Amino acid sequence: MGRDRRGSHARHRLPTEWQSRRAGPARGFRGLARRPVAAALLCAGLLIAGGGTAGLMLLRGHPGTSPRPVAHPGRPPAEAVAALPRPAGSSKVARPVSLSIPAIEVHTRLIRLGLTAQDTLQVPASTSVAGWYAGSPRPGQIGSAIIAGHIDSYRGPGVFFRLRLLRPGDRIYIRRADGTPAVFRVYAERMYAKDRFPTQQVYGPAPDPELRLITCGGTFDPATGSYLSNVVVYAAQIR
Amino acid sequence: MKLRAAAALVPLSLALALLGAAPSAAAQRTGWIRWGNWSPSAPNFDIYLNSFGGSGGPTVIRHVRYGHVSAYMTLPTGQYTIAMRDAGAAATTPPTLSASVQVAAGTAYTIVSMGPASHLGVQVLKETMMSSPGKALVRVVQESVQQHRVSVTAGSRKLGGPLLLGAYTSFLAVSPGWLAIHAAGISTNTTTHVFLPANTIHTLVVLDKPGRQGDLRIHTLQDAVGSKTMPAGGAATGFGGTAPVRAPSPVPWAAVIAGGLLCCAAAGYWLRRVRHQARHAR
Repeated sequence: MGRDRRGSHARHRLPTEWQSRRAGPARGFRGLARRPVAAALLCAGLLIAGGGTAGLMLLRGHPGTSPRPVAHPGRPPAEAVAALPRPAGSSKVARPVSLSIPAIEVHTRLIRLGLTAQDTLQVPASTSVAGWYAGSPRPGQIGSAIIAGHIDSYRGPGVFFRLRLLRPGDRIYIRRADGTPAVFRVYAERMYAKDRFPTQQVYGPAPDPELRLITCGGTFDPATGSYLSNVVVYAAQIR
Repeated sequence: MKLRAAAALVPLSLALALLGAAPSAAAQRTGWIRWGNWSPSAPNFDIYLNSFGGSGGPTVIRHVRYGHVSAYMTLPTGQYTIAMRDAGAAATTPPTLSASVQVAAGTAYTIVSMGPASHLGVQVLKETMMSSPGKALVRVVQESVQQHRVSVTAGSRKLGGPLLLGAYTSFLAVSPGWLAIHAAGISTNTTTHVFLPANTIHTLVVLDKPGRQGDLRIHTLQDAVGSKTMPAGGAATGFGGTAPVRAPSPVPWAAVIAGGLLCCAAAGYWLRRVRHQARHAR
């Protein structure tokens, strides 16, 4: 409508280059091109809104993975069952090298653990192996042997993912460096908040050969990247 | 002296139950008993353990010699009777000594014969399971019938005494390592070196030396063992890969979208306004 008139005015001010551009088919963008700040604002607005939409669409949680009981628990290691009973509390007990818990399909070697600089229990660097705290009695010696393993890694289940499914009566098999086995029977499974962890009960003195298996449990706190509770399985030696 | 000894004797079990629960009581329904023979002039004993009102026969430990103490046996909580018969006597004969004990969850007991042949008795001792971090806990029991009063020291530190027959100290915290334990009776004394690691609990028993009139010996019993160094708190054994993750709030993203749209609206309005002004300016 007013295009010719406006154009005639413009012709006086604009170089020929502009005239030819102005006459192009993209009439809707002409205003934008003449107002670069507004154009930038519009582009930025579109980008921001698009980014926000993408962010909104990528937002999602996941329900977490719950351990399921083992459908067909494996058989205990044959040698462990066939072995003759050994006197409990013998002082000549070799260090533990592997751990089997058929009820939850755990079969792992045992590494040695110490303490961290903060005096807390060191944990295995790998989430797929468990470790024995070398400051605790060896499994089969009088006292509570401490074994720790991860419940999970950043991506999925760890070696003690199913630990909390253990129930009184389940068997735990330890093999030692000299090839001798030791068999333990679970008598309790407990969950403790880490800020109220009963160190005496878990690491403290015991009058007979026992095991304490430790992993994490309860609520995961993404802010600190750690679980708020520990699961402890108590077992006493039966062979 | 006999009065003190008698006070420490037979059915102590009920009073013992009041002495406080062991730390592991919350986790289990069993306790521990070990038994032995601390009466020097008595014959070897056969020791019978019966669950009160329980089915099944008794647990029998045969030929328990003077000075011998068994390993701990894990037992369901409840009432038990202990009968001691001369070694080889029929199970139907009346026992020489008997006692009953109430086994509490997570608690350990030592049940022994004691005293001279003329005054045989049964003593029930209750152990502690609470260690003193970095220390060794030790208790002294005086069971010599030859020396009527015995004082016991660890290095320069007095552990107890003079103790009469059957008397015992509470658990005392001592620095871990090798300790020279010295027991002094009225007419004789003895020294023995024991190694007590940190976070362990031991009972030192003063006994008569067999065959040596009036001489003493110290028998070391290990009650319980903990970790050499107790870790502080729990363990960091998880990275959260299987933990449920709650979807974060959508509000920040919604605000971003709103901000973007606002920019677009502002740009549109500006363009319209500029065009409008341009039209009017003409």
